[in-house]
Amino acid sequence: MKKSLRRSLGVASALTATVLFATACAGSNSPSNSGGGDGKSLVVDASFDLKTADPNRQYETTGSIVAKSLYETLLSFDGEDVTTPVDGLASYEMNADNTVMTLTMKGDSKFSDGSDVTVDDAVFSLERVQGVKGNPSFLLDGVTVAKTGDDTLTLTSAEPNPALPFILPNPALGVVNQEVVEANGGSNTESDAAEGFLNTESAGSGPYMLESFDAAAEVVFTSNPNYAGDKPAYDRVVLRNVAGPTQKLNVEKGESQVALDLNPDQVAELGSADVKVISNPSRYMIFLLMNQDPAISTVTSDPKFMEAVKNAIDYDKIVDMAGKGSVQPGGVIPSIFVGALDAKEGNARDLDAAKKALSESTYKGEKITLNFPNDITVQGLSLQSVAEAAQAQLAEAGITIELAPAPVATELDAYRDGKETIGLWYWGPDFPDPSNYLVFAPGELVGLRAGWPADGDPAVTTLADAAKAATGDARAAAYEEFQKSLNATGPFIPLLQPAQNVVTSPTVSSVITNPVWTVDLALIK
Amino acid sequence: MPSSSNDTVAVAVTTGNAPRRGIPPLVRYLAIRLGLTALLMLGVTIVTFTLTNLVPADPVQAALGEQAAANPEIVAKFRAENGLDKPLPVQYITYLGNVLQGDLGTSTQTRQPVAEELAKAFPATIELALSAIVFSALIGIGLGLWAAMKRRKFTDQVIRVVSLIGLSWPTFWLALVVYYVFFFLLGWFPGSGRLSPAAMPPPQVTGLYTVDSLLAGQWSTFGDAVYHLILPASVLALYTIGLLTRFARSAVMEVLDMDYVKAARAKGLPKRKVVLGYVLRGALVPIITVLGLAFGSLLSGTVLVEKVYSWHGLGEYSFSAATKLDLPAIMGVGLVVGVVYIGLNFLVDVLYGVIDPRVRVS
Repeated sequence: MKKSLRRSLGVASALTATVLFATACAGSNSPSNSGGGDGKSLVVDASFDLKTADPNRQYETTGSIVAKSLYETLLSFDGEDVTTPVDGLASYEMNADNTVMTLTMKGDSKFSDGSDVTVDDAVFSLERVQGVKGNPSFLLDGVTVAKTGDDTLTLTSAEPNPALPFILPNPALGVVNQEVVEANGGSNTESDAAEGFLNTESAGSGPYMLESFDAAAEVVFTSNPNYAGDKPAYDRVVLRNVAGPTQKLNVEKGESQVALDLNPDQVAELGSADVKVISNPSRYMIFLLMNQDPAISTVTSDPKFMEAVKNAIDYDKIVDMAGKGSVQPGGVIPSIFVGALDAKEGNARDLDAAKKALSESTYKGEKITLNFPNDITVQGLSLQSVAEAAQAQLAEAGITIELAPAPVATELDAYRDGKETIGLWYWGPDFPDPSNYLVFAPGELVGLRAGWPADGDPAVTTLADAAKAATGDARAAAYEEFQKSLNATGPFIPLLQPAQNVVTSPTVSSVITNPVWTVDLALIK
Repeated sequence: MPSSSNDTVAVAVTTGNAPRRGIPPLVRYLAIRLGLTALLMLGVTIVTFTLTNLVPADPVQAALGEQAAANPEIVAKFRAENGLDKPLPVQYITYLGNVLQGDLGTSTQTRQPVAEELAKAFPATIELALSAIVFSALIGIGLGLWAAMKRRKFTDQVIRVVSLIGLSWPTFWLALVVYYVFFFLLGWFPGSGRLSPAAMPPPQVTGLYTVDSLLAGQWSTFGDAVYHLILPASVLALYTIGLLTRFARSAVMEVLDMDYVKAARAKGLPKRKVVLGYVLRGALVPIITVLGLAFGSLLSGTVLVEKVYSWHGLGEYSFSAATKLDLPAIMGVGLVVGVVYIGLNFLVDVLYGVIDPRVRVS
């Protein structure tokens, strides 16, 4: 027995020594050794909502980061500025009535396999977005794509479409290598079967190529030797799926160099840490909706009650609660887009006015339900905390709110079916153009969710139509007018734009955020 | 849900009473157990399918983006592609037919085959749970045995308190605290994931990085994988250690009072031989029951540890599937967990026979 015990101990010691030795060898793999701009390797932590690496099918935040790194688009934005589209693979011209956009390929880009990016690839890619009928297909609804020359193509819209230059930089419209994609089952119809291939190998002309893709765990990029633009600072980027609290510890420790999803509380805790924080207003707008359908609620459809709620909310307090970088939008259009209203022109707290309006309303002190999804966050901000703040502020005016949180998967039905009495939701724009917010007009997508029919408010409808038709410099003013009328009589209360926080370790000197693709990995230095 | 192992033992005992001539009892026993397993599996598919479809929410709304969900053409295409336009019984029969051919459907979120995604997620969790169970079995049974031998003495009291603490930590909290202390403050262990970002996963054979790296002779990767396993496996093991310690202690104490143990002692056998050969062996049946069930619950209960350590295994996959209402993925996870529980029950029953001659004879 003693002998066998000694033998067991010996085996155990040998195993332990082996593991320790191997662990010591593994230590050289530590990413902290490779941090910094000259180290050629970058680790970025994000909370994934990733589905695919196929650019023409993706339409999620993480998907856009991936697609932006692998594929170039015909037009682009310069840095953070999304108010002016710039040339990408092509330059553009719009005709006078905004129905025909002519794109001229610049012809200097090559795909990662060394072949030229041609006008045929561009036409194929845009038609593929339309044909596969995926989540981003709507971006080119009503648009006809045609090759018109060796290096030109046109996009023709049935109706004036001044938003088109703002739509084209979307990473979902990335240009893929037609020959490679078709050789791997791809097409520009619903029978397209190239997604599996594009999840293993990229076929683009972007700054990076796909080294490996795991939608649940991580995406690894290596630099594209044939990229026509400036060589990225890092040769290899690992984009990892990491939960918020862990992201915070990783970036503080130097285990990762960039953390994309820290919530306001976590950012506030970083005060003494040796990290850099970039806080900008995000593209998301969090709002309350009050149902206008009397069958759902006779109270919330009462204009005096709506007036009371708009005056009872303490917008400054909500913005403060959401942390540094958050702002109050003046209307439904976020502050960073053309046509945004200044916060001063938006709703403001006036408790006396709220109480007065309430006394003139049909409200008799009954509980009003506030529905919201409690298992999602917007830029790390929990909707639960916003709902609780609103509940407390409305109580000060004499309005009793009952919170009704639910998982987003179940609450979405009630929201999209227009069944909520008061709802707390957010709107992320599909592209950085104010036309995105016409869905809040009577009878439109979000308008109907608030029980606001097409004939709900002809004045607002008229201003929405005018904004839609406006072109050039007149657009900003037209959208401002639309929002003012929406603030006055509409069933929506824009509450805040939460901050987009990016935290970097000291080895990173520059990160540029963008509301469309969050962050361009190739521009991190 | 699968029956408890006690139920299955009862079945084994009653059905094993009258062996027919020509069929060896063991074969007959295995055949009956396998038949029952198949029936249980069918039950699992019915339960997961029914429960999943009872959720009062529309998976189409959850899967499609705002604009896509508002487009009737895209919604109709999505419903047709996922068979959601057919009546529920038809959906179930199609699902069952596909499952029998190894096809668990396509994830509505990622559009990838669920079987493929589970094949990636499952080994990650298996590796974590196996490490945790081995760790907890060694420590838990050892501590339980020690406590029982020192009954009512100071050592016993200490071990009981420690095991109670092990049982009482909330796992989600402990996972974060351990990560904070041992990775962030002390820097003794690595951070997120199963491997360092710079390390390439070994060529896939089993999906277990430790095993695959050894098979490929990649010592550095093996060390890296073990290094990453230690913290999450320890956190996960702590609860099971507490559980096993308490179970082992009471099981050993019960056996210590048995006549055959007293007889062995009276015969003057060395203490170590009595403990390992008589006491522990006699106490192993209830311990193995707990071990089997604990392993099953580890597999299905790793969600929070996986989230903190970015492990991307079955737990995280099921969490993501549930929150996104990805019905095929939810059903796939339910099926896998069901199979594991049933398989473990089967294994535990077979082990009873190996360890306890009384079970074998009956």
